[in-house]
Amino acid sequence: MRKKLPPIALEIVAIGLALLILIPFFMIFINSFKGIRESALFGLSLPSTWEFSNYRDVFNQDNILRGFKNSFLLSALVVVCVNLFASMAAFVIQRRGGKFLNGVYMAFIMGLIVPVSIIPTIRLLDVLHIKGTYLSIVMYYTAVLLPFAVFLLVGFIKSVPRELDEAAILEGCGYFRLYLKIILPLISTVLVTVSIVVIVSVWNDFFGPFYLVTDSTKWTIVLQVFNFVTLYSTNWGIVFAFMIVVITPVLIIYLFLQRYIIDGLTAGSVKG
Amino acid sequence: MERNKYPLYFSFPAIIVFLLFFITPTVIGVYYSFTDWNINASTIKFIGLENYKELFNEPRLKQAFTNTLIFAAAVTVLQNVSGIALALILNEKLRLRNLLRMIFFMPYVIAPLVIGYIFRAIYHPEHGIVNKFLDMVGLDFMMQDWLNDPKFALFTIIITDIWRVAGFSMVVYLAGLQFIPKDLIESASIDGANYWTRFKHVVFPLLAPAFTVNVLLAMIGSMKVFEIVMVLTEGGPGYTTEVFYTYIRNTFSSGEMGYATAINMLLFALVTLVGVPVLMAMKKREVEM
Repeated sequence: MRKKLPPIALEIVAIGLALLILIPFFMIFINSFKGIRESALFGLSLPSTWEFSNYRDVFNQDNILRGFKNSFLLSALVVVCVNLFASMAAFVIQRRGGKFLNGVYMAFIMGLIVPVSIIPTIRLLDVLHIKGTYLSIVMYYTAVLLPFAVFLLVGFIKSVPRELDEAAILEGCGYFRLYLKIILPLISTVLVTVSIVVIVSVWNDFFGPFYLVTDSTKWTIVLQVFNFVTLYSTNWGIVFAFMIVVITPVLIIYLFLQRYIIDGLTAGSVKG
Repeated sequence: MERNKYPLYFSFPAIIVFLLFFITPTVIGVYYSFTDWNINASTIKFIGLENYKELFNEPRLKQAFTNTLIFAAAVTVLQNVSGIALALILNEKLRLRNLLRMIFFMPYVIAPLVIGYIFRAIYHPEHGIVNKFLDMVGLDFMMQDWLNDPKFALFTIIITDIWRVAGFSMVVYLAGLQFIPKDLIESASIDGANYWTRFKHVVFPLLAPAFTVNVLLAMIGSMKVFEIVMVLTEGGPGYTTEVFYTYIRNTFSSGEMGYATAINMLLFALVTLVGVPVLMAMKKREVEM
């Protein structure tokens, strides 16, 4: 870069780069309105005839709403489990410490790095007789996301002064109430961060349900995209319409909550 | 106040779930990697090192190993370079700054599987917009069958992943840039330092924490790449883009669970070998801060 690039040139470069991001999205959007032949050309021009029926075909799939429902249900349950389990554990890991809990903390930190052993997980769920249940997939995601949440929360609870605990305990407050009424409210912003990371991870994940969910009524929306493409890859117009339907809710939420989402996802990782 | 009064059992739900659903699969995985566990057989027999012996004789494993490392190295470097570049651009007073920030970050919230499908269309040899664009601007000699040519397939996947994650790195670096005092840069330019010298001696050293985080995440994350490769090439042509997770998936699909578990264990070993030293470095940094 030169010493002083005029801002207008910089602005043009930036807009050009932004187009690189936007054009692929525009490509599937515009092609989702095209017929079977035209959509297979993947062009950027307007459709010669607008095939709104692509969207009707997508919504006529009776399982699409179920897919959204499954993804929503899983994300919500995992958010609750991860926030609850991780904050309770982080609270005592940070406050109590000691050999055992420090070891536990190290184990969670290792869990940040190492990959999950997915094939033996199938076997484990089989042995436990919970294979293919919502419970099993919620527990799988909770286990995978706990390390990050514990790590992030321990870091933040460190900044909550111990004097608060002492004062509360002197007043006769129990440890559970201390956790619930004093610690939790003070770390609520971090819990929002944890929730965002959990929701984005679970909602977009393909890896977990691909291996662990065999029953098609329990498929998440991303798993449905996979099966839909395998089924309809001869008609790209419908496939693109399906993808637009899947990513639109995410993009709308992103548009409205972008500040929280960007900060949450990056803060989450700066710590993790 | 005594530390020991904090109730230990608060940590039990997290420990139990993590122990049962994360650590247990890894531990029993060691055992199953020594078995002939197959979806088509009713019994599971211990066969010792057979799976590993067979694996190490497979050129495919070497391919998956090299490709995973090439992918991880390339993504780590390119993601950071593009992240810093974008952050430096957006750190200037641009009118569309917030909008641009939002656009660059956008791919990161979309499922990688969906991104894979979008780009499969974009790289189509005849109709894809990449080749059409090259043709239009007179660079038709550069047109390639991006995903089916063994020379370009891995490179194409790397670029696609950069498209997905560059905005993420950008935001981390942008946050780092906020901490650099303006007058520090001003005084450097009064001393006659040009943009590059200023960047090298003033800006970049202060970006070190953001850099560490970005490198760490990129390295560990990219060794676990799966969806993008699966959708774009399924590890092909041949095994030229095979990575660990596509290898596991393809073995899993043919029902050879014991064998797939052995590959999973090798990935575990690789990530641990690379990740733990990096983690130690991170811990050390924490102490220094």
